Amino acid sequence: MNALPRPSTIFLAAITTLVAVLLYSPLFVPIVSSFFTISHGDVDWSSPTLSTYRALAENHDILTALRTTLIVGLCTVVLSVVSGTLLALYYHGRRSGRSILQFIIFLPFLMPPIISGLALLIFFREIGLERSLLTVVIGHTVFVLAIVYRTVLMRLQSMSRTLVEASYDLGATGWQTFWRIILPNLSSAMVGAAILAFALSFDETMITILVTGTQSTLPVRLWAMMRLGFSPDINALVALILMFTVLLCVLAARFLIPRQMATERS
Amino acid sequence: MNQNPDLLTLRSVSKSYGTVAVLHDIDLSIRDGEFLTVLGPSGSGKTTVLRLIGGLEPLTTGDIRLDGQDISRMPINKRPFNTVFQDYALFPHMTVSGNVGYGLSVRHVQRKEIARRVAEALELVQLGRFADRFPAQLSGGQRQRVALARALICRPRLILLDEPLAALDLELRRQMQEFLKSIQREIKTTFLFVTHDQEEAIGMADRICVMQAGHIRQLGTPHELYYKPNCEFVARFFGENNLVAGKLGPVQGEQRPIETALGRLICSITDQPHLKAAPEGASAFAAFRPEALHLADATDGDNRFSGIIADLAFAGSSTVATIKAGADNAAQRLRLRTPSRIGGSALRSGETVALSFAPHEGHLVLA
Repeated sequence: MNALPRPSTIFLAAITTLVAVLLYSPLFVPIVSSFFTISHGDVDWSSPTLSTYRALAENHDILTALRTTLIVGLCTVVLSVVSGTLLALYYHGRRSGRSILQFIIFLPFLMPPIISGLALLIFFREIGLERSLLTVVIGHTVFVLAIVYRTVLMRLQSMSRTLVEASYDLGATGWQTFWRIILPNLSSAMVGAAILAFALSFDETMITILVTGTQSTLPVRLWAMMRLGFSPDINALVALILMFTVLLCVLAARFLIPRQMATERS
Repeated sequence: MNQNPDLLTLRSVSKSYGTVAVLHDIDLSIRDGEFLTVLGPSGSGKTTVLRLIGGLEPLTTGDIRLDGQDISRMPINKRPFNTVFQDYALFPHMTVSGNVGYGLSVRHVQRKEIARRVAEALELVQLGRFADRFPAQLSGGQRQRVALARALICRPRLILLDEPLAALDLELRRQMQEFLKSIQREIKTTFLFVTHDQEEAIGMADRICVMQAGHIRQLGTPHELYYKPNCEFVARFFGENNLVAGKLGPVQGEQRPIETALGRLICSITDQPHLKAAPEGASAFAAFRPEALHLADATDGDNRFSGIIADLAFAGSSTVATIKAGADNAAQRLRLRTPSRIGGSALRSGETVALSFAPHEGHLVLA
């Protein structure tokens, strides 16, 4: 770092600051403006107020959409964490078929969501499954499974093989080893994966629009509101979602970077 | 020691991974109550022996008998053996007492009894104060002792130790060697200790089993291995040694001469019938320890030869001279170890000297 001459360090710092401001300041605009009213299409900066939040709280469409989002998120979390963990356990240490499975799991995550969404839509139509919250949950699970699988598998791989051997060596059965050694060592990875899965499900829009029935989740609702014009409670909503997402990310990071392991390595 | 019955017997045990054989027809008996060290360079198959006994890997052929009963197919969690792993394998999410008590709790021993025995085991390894700590909060030596307490709490017939001291620094390793030995004496349990460090092996073992390339080369007390190695590998691997190649001469009672580049060297063959039986002219080595080699004086009749001191190295309590001997004082490198003296060594670098070793301190190994 210090190897660079001073003028170039200053130059680099200036560029970095500029890029950061340009890229990230738009994020703060809705937060700040959510505390002000809008009249005639302009933000009235003179009097800070919580009226936009009050308007949001009285908007039943939004509250219903929020409830739907939470239900979908929780169902997705349960489904994806259970199946992702089982898949990771099954394929850990198994060579045959693993790369094919990984490819399939990662496909929906990497493909453009509109393709995944269309594929699911066609599939649901073919098997005669009505579009509903169930199809949304299935769509989200397919989408986030890759994250859960990868997170749990990585924790499994970083777990010393001798832990399991030691458990058997001390007389434990396979079942005891699973519940008392493997699962506790995976739990923080599973919680972290669950938070990430929830966050992904929370703001998934494209697939949801395609496979949902009559009910809309929060992002879909937001999308609909945007088409009707810029309303002040959108600012409040964006601000809340932003804070909520940051909170989730901080939580996920806490669970996914185990402090214990860090000290053990040193 | 000889009266002790065999606890565990391996009979023509071999192990292959696919087409790669890592153990060839091993026969080994472990006596009840002994401290047996399996010593060998990496890749010699020593850890495989331990894993086969522990049940961590299945045998390819042969059988393992405990008190005469075949246990080759007994699952790992039913074998009355416990292992101290090289990386300790402590459960990171359990406290020290949780770790130590695990073997009892999976067998549904009553809580009170577990608490009592955990306290007892931690007392034995001097970790009573650390019962509620997590493994990450312990030092290497402390983790090592937790692993030991966890292995011995189930009162196994045999404790298997897989290079448990490899990760510790030298001073701690010495302390742990003494500590392990004293624990072994106290609980009177058989220890099977795997290591690549021959000093560690000499210091701790009742008997040592030297392995190389999937074969057992020699099994004996440290003294036997040091003074009567039965092959070139053991002679070279186990402690520092001088080996001089030559052809065997005729047997002369308990001694036998060998014709070498240093002339005729006479070596002892006491209690080594295979050396008595070897044909005349067979290729062999004369082997003598650096501390057996000394400057010759008038009384040394046999095994005299001359050499040039190429290098002198002060090593604390002893001084080691590297000597070139044989044709043109160049063909053969030898080492001579002599106790250090404050006044400095009588040896001078570059000097040509007459050297000798007593016939009873020389031995022969077949090439």
